[in-house]
Amino acid sequence: MSLLARPHYPDYSTAPVQHQFYPYADNGGSVVAIAGDDFVVIGADTRLSAGFSIYTRNQNKLFPLAKTTVLGCSGCWCDTLTLTRILKSRMQMYAQEHNKTMSTTACAQMLSTMLYYKRFFPYSISNVLVGLDNEATTLSGTAKRRFTKLGGSAGALLQPLLDNQIGQKNMEIVSKEPLSQEKALKILKDVFISAAERDIYTGDSVFINIITKDGIQEDKFELRKD
Amino acid sequence: MSTERYSFSLTTFSPSGKLVQIEYALAAVAAGAPSVGIKASNGVVIATENKHKSILYDEHSVHKVEMITNHIGMIYSGMGPDYRLLVKQARKMAQQYYLVYHEPIPTVQLVQRVAAVMQEYTQSGGVRPFGVSLLICGWDSDRPYLFQCDPSGAYFAWKATAMGKNYINGKTFLEKRYSEDLELDDAVHTAILTLKESFEGQMTADNIEVGICDASGFRRLEPSHVKDYLANIP
Repeated sequence: MSLLARPHYPDYSTAPVQHQFYPYADNGGSVVAIAGDDFVVIGADTRLSAGFSIYTRNQNKLFPLAKTTVLGCSGCWCDTLTLTRILKSRMQMYAQEHNKTMSTTACAQMLSTMLYYKRFFPYSISNVLVGLDNEATTLSGTAKRRFTKLGGSAGALLQPLLDNQIGQKNMEIVSKEPLSQEKALKILKDVFISAAERDIYTGDSVFINIITKDGIQEDKFELRKD
Repeated sequence: MSTERYSFSLTTFSPSGKLVQIEYALAAVAAGAPSVGIKASNGVVIATENKHKSILYDEHSVHKVEMITNHIGMIYSGMGPDYRLLVKQARKMAQQYYLVYHEPIPTVQLVQRVAAVMQEYTQSGGVRPFGVSLLICGWDSDRPYLFQCDPSGAYFAWKATAMGKNYINGKTFLEKRYSEDLELDDAVHTAILTLKESFEGQMTADNIEVGICDASGFRRLEPSHVKDYLANIP
């Protein structure tokens, strides 16, 4: 016993150890969405990681569900894949039964019920659902003029920044102008650059979807790779 | 008739390819109180006879015209208790839909779900079909809807129709009177006239029930309102 417990191998132990299967994994990533009057921009970084390792620098975390509805997911990648597959399937069933595409509000409500179904073994995902209904913006089911929603590893870090820059909170001089698409995009990019500086799980590049009544436009820009 | 040999079990086809129990259910409907529904350009009207067998009946306590959601209403011909069960289930289904989609249930969707329930009772053991035909009226997607649900589980979209006693005469009457550009007021008038065709005795605001559905939703007409319409009828 003590002959075997050599001091050079501190991890060596003859004591029994119980191994457990842990169903969740955090694959990192951040999602940011900004809504104006008649448009929404949603961006997600493209880094998939596990601990200090990187799985890939090029994973799109934005899932278009309809012509003007997009879901961004960050967190557990396996849960994300399953959830988006089931969502897509439910939307197809809705379209077949109703002979029309699901509105963003209906989608948000349905997503909510699907997630609650798994209340006691949750999908470990931070969801941001955005879209337009009749040309008015919807962000996760509520319609606002200057709305932002963040999810993922840098979410808490950046929410106060966006509250100030977009929501014009905690400042005296408030502009009454509506939020323009250019400004929203500029701020979105700045926000991701800041996130990449401080959050190790955010970086590589950002995939952006710009949603207007004409559909979804795609954009991409590079971030720090470290 | 030899079909009687095949009529005891719902789940047995007769040699002629009929489910005799359903035929009998339809007979129960045809013997029920008359009801009528008319789709106008800007709404739908549904109406039914609600006669009481004795003056001791407490009028207006129990209604035949029932609201399912803010924008959908229902009436029936046939067996009252069967109707009440379907009303309850329809209301529950409408709420369940809202819980999932946060949108009012489209009329067609509700009709499909109610009809599916009625069909279940034609293909299960130990049950009998519902002894009612329903008229479901609704407003969504900026247009009116009128549907009939039969005991078999079949459903039909109508511009105008009559059910219950004397329904053939009622339908013939409607075929002559119906036009595409009927307005809701005229439709109510026509509906009451159609009911009158098979009405025995004096028609008053207390022995018929009328419901209308338009862009502002579904509501049952107050007896005073019905009285106004009756005043315009010879």
